[in-house]
Amino acid sequence: MLYLSHVLGAKVLDSADHVVGVLQDLAISHKVGEYAPVRFLVVKPVRAKKDVFIPYEYVDDFSKDEVSLTTSLKKVEFEKHISNRFVFLDKDVLDQQIVDVSGIRVVRVNDLRMGKVNGKMCVLGIDISTKGLLRRLKIEWMDFFNWFSVDMIDWRKAQPLRRELKLSMSSNDLDRLHPADLANIIEDLNVQHGGRLVQSLDVKDAAKVLEEIEPKLQKILVKYLGPDKASDILSQMSVDEVADLMKSLPREEAKVFLSHLRGSKMKNVEKLLIYPDDTAGGLMTLDFMKVSPETTVKQAMEEIRRHSSKHRSVLYIYIIDEDEKFKGVVSLRSLIVASAEKKMCDLTNEDDFHKNSTLKVEDDVDEIMEVMTKYDLFTAAVLDESGKLLGIVSIDDVMRHLVPNA
Amino acid sequence: MVEAIKKRWQILKYKFIFFLGVVGPGIISANADNDAGGITTYSVVGAHFGTKMLWVLLLVTFALAVTQEMGVRIGLVTRQGLGGIIRETFGVKLTALVMFLMLIANMGTVTAEFAGVAASFGIIGVSKYVAVPIAALFVFFVLFKGSFKTTQKIFLVFSFFYIVYIINGFIIGPDFGQAMTDMVTPTIEFTPIFLITMIALIGTTITPWGQFFIQSYVVDKGLDIQHYKAEKVEVYLGAIITNVVSFFIIISTAATLYKVGIHIADAGDAAAALEPLAGHLAHFLFAFGLFVASMLGAFILPTATAYAICEAFGWEDGFDTDWSRGKYFYSIILITIILPCLIVLIPKISLVSIMVLSQDINGILLPFVLLFVLKIINDKSIMGEYTNGFWSNLVAWITIIGIIVATVVLVASSFFILG
Repeated sequence: MLYLSHVLGAKVLDSADHVVGVLQDLAISHKVGEYAPVRFLVVKPVRAKKDVFIPYEYVDDFSKDEVSLTTSLKKVEFEKHISNRFVFLDKDVLDQQIVDVSGIRVVRVNDLRMGKVNGKMCVLGIDISTKGLLRRLKIEWMDFFNWFSVDMIDWRKAQPLRRELKLSMSSNDLDRLHPADLANIIEDLNVQHGGRLVQSLDVKDAAKVLEEIEPKLQKILVKYLGPDKASDILSQMSVDEVADLMKSLPREEAKVFLSHLRGSKMKNVEKLLIYPDDTAGGLMTLDFMKVSPETTVKQAMEEIRRHSSKHRSVLYIYIIDEDEKFKGVVSLRSLIVASAEKKMCDLTNEDDFHKNSTLKVEDDVDEIMEVMTKYDLFTAAVLDESGKLLGIVSIDDVMRHLVPNA
Repeated sequence: MVEAIKKRWQILKYKFIFFLGVVGPGIISANADNDAGGITTYSVVGAHFGTKMLWVLLLVTFALAVTQEMGVRIGLVTRQGLGGIIRETFGVKLTALVMFLMLIANMGTVTAEFAGVAASFGIIGVSKYVAVPIAALFVFFVLFKGSFKTTQKIFLVFSFFYIVYIINGFIIGPDFGQAMTDMVTPTIEFTPIFLITMIALIGTTITPWGQFFIQSYVVDKGLDIQHYKAEKVEVYLGAIITNVVSFFIIISTAATLYKVGIHIADAGDAAAALEPLAGHLAHFLFAFGLFVASMLGAFILPTATAYAICEAFGWEDGFDTDWSRGKYFYSIILITIILPCLIVLIPKISLVSIMVLSQDINGILLPFVLLFVLKIINDKSIMGEYTNGFWSNLVAWITIIGIIVATVVLVASSFFILG
């Protein structure tokens, strides 16, 4: 079995078995989802100061014991510089953090497993084990009881983070991760890597992930991305999450971020900004389905079909009149069982809508919980003094407030 | 009316929370330097050499402020712990070396903490064979079952006990003029005992673990480069506050013990320095302070060590990982608690010597850690525009060279005496 640590620092021999230099590094070309082939040897020639890049085609033998060339060094057409498309295994990958997609965690690269695929020398796997660590330190003999086993991640399943990383949720294994898991991974990374990972995602996914990240890191990430890049992601996030984030920023900065958002989004966020965090106003979202009292069940269901993708979840349909006054609420269940021609206002009854089952903007978390528990609500309507429907508080917003670190 | 008061209260609350938001890393990290090893070393410095070493303390205050500020800055820019950056910048071999040195230094300090527990219970007549295992179990229990952060805060509040030294200092009415003169006149004796105490004085104030601790603290706290100015002030403040306390411990012991020629052989001797303030209760007061300080260190150090090593080697860490995934994390914590306990339990071992010598180990290993810190903080590819200025580099280099020279002279003079 060949590992990178076996060949780094090895003497490079020419066809006449003369030592021509020392192997410093290997350059690979990286493509997502494939074993990466070695393209160049980075060699420090004897009696020369600068490293040269020898194309892998000149390699005769590449093994644990020796690295030899098919010809003499003079005949090699080596390069003085190579493009930075290539990834250097020692400089860019070894010792760095990588995302282990299958284990949902961030690990460090202790060593790299090399081997031939279709006749080409490739990077096959990433050794993240303590055994790999001992091998790097050249004290593998210490493990004489064989306590440690090799723990390898398939190269194709891992995402190196130091170089610009290109991954999109659709073409990559990362898409199998739940946004909350991905958020945990980003929390483990430093800000540059985490920021790059967020940017590499499709904006919709990035928004979901950003919502799940803990608030203080959210703030840092958004600032790291800057208003231009962040605004794309922010505009995909739900309004109440953006409002919470803006509240945590200094006023001037929040203004800059807000000014980069679309007009309607900005107005909605600003509406929420005035309420303190731990009140119904601060916790509520503007993301809910609303219909007029005269709407029929059939029309309401069509409405849901048409706008479903815009909403995080649809559990209740809220009924408001032309003055946006709250007129009642219909659960999805009663909507489904009702006959198609019935009017929405006829569906609200005492069970679904009770005068006390609504919230006022200034209600605190205890009051919100009392109302939601008493009336068994998943979402509760927030009204102003005149009875206008301002937004809704959902049970997970309350949960997030109570258990902020989950 | 009620509304207005409520509003006001809200505003006050927010201001207070904001204040707490920035305070923490600098003050806590610096305050934790006054642990068992710290109090004992400062007491020994005062009792054995009077105020002669105060000039070292003055220099060390600057050095502490500068080195801690560097740790904060690296943390704010990279948002990563020191262990991780060392691994990514210097590769696995040097990382293994630094981590090994840190482990040794930290084990030394934990040993000092348990020696502190033993000594404080010794004062009230409880055997160390009872006190130390119970203390270890308690640390264990809190770390694995309870809230590390809350306990840390409780002990931190207790550690403000050192204010008694400041009050005590004024009651004794020591020779402040002499103290001030000594603070600016370097005097040095080329004897092993003087040098060993001097290195301990440096090593107890600026510590390898302190560098790791403050950096991961600012990262955990979610601070970033925007908080730099506030953090800098906080770090400087922390350095000054702890060393004001150190100053008063030294002049208290100098005015009481040095004057009458008492050498500190056990913690009871050091406690005598508090007699002007507390009379007969001095021993209890000292025992309580020493115990609290020891426990604070005993909580922080094993955990800090485990976090740093796991970060460097990519092992999973944190108390929310289960045993099989976090086996290295938990093993390191266990070893850094158990081994030091066993050392302290060796019959007839001198507790005061443990507490001072462990600070020497810290002092001797410190230059190596600082060299890495300096290399990182002057690296433009890591720090960008936040690399070190001339003065920070100067102070750091003087600290490094000062300790190395003192160590070399110490080793040479020990050979000379032995020969």
